[in-house]
Amino acid sequence: MRRLPVYLLLDTSGSMTGEPIEAVKNGVQVMISSLRQNPQAIETAFISIITFDSTARQVVPLTDLASFQMVDIKASGTTALGEGLKLVATCIDSEVTKTTAEQKGDWKPLVFIMTDGIPTDDWQSGLEEYKKRKTAYTVACAAGSGADANLLKQITENVVSLDTADSNSISKFFTWVSASIGVTSTRIEDAGKEVSGLGELPPPPSELNIVT
Amino acid sequence: MSYLSNFTSNTSHRATNIKLVSSIINTGKTYEYVDNGEPMRGGMKDVYFGPDKSYVVAFYRDKQDYNSRERLKKLVTQYYDSFFNREGGDYFKELYCWPTDMVEADGKVGLIVPAYNKNYFFKKGYAASDGIKGKEKEGLWFASAKFRNQNFSLRLDKSELGNWLSYFQICVKIARGVKRLHAAGLAHSDLSYKNVLIDPVTRSATIIDIDGLVVPGLYPPDVIGTADFIAPEVLATKHLDIRDPNRKHANRTTDLHALAVMIYMYLLYRHPLKGGKVNSLDTEQDDLLSMGKKALFIEHPTDTSNRPKLDQGSKYALPWADVNKLPYTITGPYLKDLFNQAFITGLHNPNLRPNADAWEQALLKTTDLMQPCSNPQCDQQWFVFDNTASPKCPFCGTPVKGTLPVLDLYYQFKPTIWKPENHRLMVYNNQYLFQWHVNRNVVRNEKLTAAQKVPVGYFTFYNGKWVLVNQKLTSLKDLTENKEIPIGTMVDITDGKRLLLSNEEGGRVVVVTMANK
Repeated sequence: MRRLPVYLLLDTSGSMTGEPIEAVKNGVQVMISSLRQNPQAIETAFISIITFDSTARQVVPLTDLASFQMVDIKASGTTALGEGLKLVATCIDSEVTKTTAEQKGDWKPLVFIMTDGIPTDDWQSGLEEYKKRKTAYTVACAAGSGADANLLKQITENVVSLDTADSNSISKFFTWVSASIGVTSTRIEDAGKEVSGLGELPPPPSELNIVT
Repeated sequence: MSYLSNFTSNTSHRATNIKLVSSIINTGKTYEYVDNGEPMRGGMKDVYFGPDKSYVVAFYRDKQDYNSRERLKKLVTQYYDSFFNREGGDYFKELYCWPTDMVEADGKVGLIVPAYNKNYFFKKGYAASDGIKGKEKEGLWFASAKFRNQNFSLRLDKSELGNWLSYFQICVKIARGVKRLHAAGLAHSDLSYKNVLIDPVTRSATIIDIDGLVVPGLYPPDVIGTADFIAPEVLATKHLDIRDPNRKHANRTTDLHALAVMIYMYLLYRHPLKGGKVNSLDTEQDDLLSMGKKALFIEHPTDTSNRPKLDQGSKYALPWADVNKLPYTITGPYLKDLFNQAFITGLHNPNLRPNADAWEQALLKTTDLMQPCSNPQCDQQWFVFDNTASPKCPFCGTPVKGTLPVLDLYYQFKPTIWKPENHRLMVYNNQYLFQWHVNRNVVRNEKLTAAQKVPVGYFTFYNGKWVLVNQKLTSLKDLTENKEIPIGTMVDITDGKRLLLSNEEGGRVVVVTMANK
């Protein structure tokens, strides 16, 4: 059956060291166990984790919820967001099944981006590559005051921000991400109507500010 | 901050979070609810528990218009009374989670809804972890093959799954719930495994989200239903304007599509329309066509173009995903006919879909064809007798040992002329005989009295032969031997034997055929 691919593009640059990176790891764990309580999500959602610091790597390939295992991630280096976006694009090319005459393809992927800083690479060229791929929606999260929400607005219209990149706010973000995946995995099949923006997702918790 | 307020709601300070709301139906009536700032969020409503958790208050997040308020008002008053405040009403209380009152606070309309019974929450949940212990038993857990595959890490514990017979009984309850709604002129409009909780352990089902009901004379709610259950004609016309006369809305016949899909899924753990056929290279368009305008039964006997492609699905969906190994015909002749009617003749012709009563009767008659599997390790434990010369369990392959008496029921058409009922009873050891077998005027439905649910006899394999022990039949007669069988005695069940079960009006004759000789 059709899968709902979900890509999490996470900033692991040096500024994430300490509480923020621990909160991200914990957030992913909590998100997986919460999605494992949702039969629709278990049926359809597949999750991949891509991190970026001085370079970008896919630390977890697109994996179903039952088999998903989080790997250890460490914070160091600079903020190669552009490379991260480029990697998401190539992973979509290789992992998301296209509909052919012989095979039903996957749903369009969901992409959640979280960063606490300003990109240090040529992010626009990465964005250009990324924009060539079709996604159901992309949500970018500016975590803390070091991130530039307006810059993220150029990647997607769906931008949320956290006032501080502390463990409480980050965990709230992941709670909301898992609720959004849950809602999308339920509704995506409703009459082929895909969720396409923040308005159709569950209301974000108070710690998340929607950047308009 | 929110952690703190969660805390207070669970400690002695909880009283500070208790709010009060007034009924807009019953003047002076108020309800308390606990507001810890984080209600459970449904699709359209925010839900708060009452202090003793015996009910919830569900507030609509959006303002409800006049039409919607009138609809809700009717549901909690007029329809509540006609369903539950009359003879037999108690039976239906278990089949629905029906709102009992309507409240309003700060311009927001809310409903008072009884809390679900305890049996609708997982006692154990997953076999290998506590992940869903205490969570609601939403139907999808039981309608998907994965969660019962022994190799899937998130499989349900065996103690949660029941056996195959449990699901026939659950489907009977769902069919009865739908039948009663339709008898009142109502349509549910969003029947799905999300809106029907089921419990295989106690073999029960309860229909929830009653507030979306379509009430005669009032505009229907603006929902088109849940994916997997939306009728093809609704999907095929959903692009039209809501007031366009060609637009198809949720009604009784779309409920009947959803009911058929649900029964198919609870018995076969796969979707009847989700096969391998690609109708468009655009994924969204393909989905719309495959479930809508071009919907095609995956087990269509002659058009095989939508058969599931096993290499493209999850291995954990096996063996149920394999329609060659476990075809829908394993559900027996009565249900096979109804599935054909629902997914072939009636799929694009709503008026030809079987009604809820037909499903109820076919399910019940099928349980009379069921045999326990002699293999204690068999996952399903029961199967429908397939009428073949060498019967075996279709699930584990265990052959039936020994003879199997098959009883065909006949009714008196005219004096001396008996006609077949198209109803047979398969005998197994300790199988009971009931009034509804004995007399055609006793219909097996929710109106049965307690006295009518008491067995009138039983079958047992005794001293190397099959016998029927008469417990309550006052005029049981062995027609072959021309001999009365008084209460407290037994009669041999042999090949060709004819028995008159009752000489009262409507009393039946059974004819025995011995299978697996």
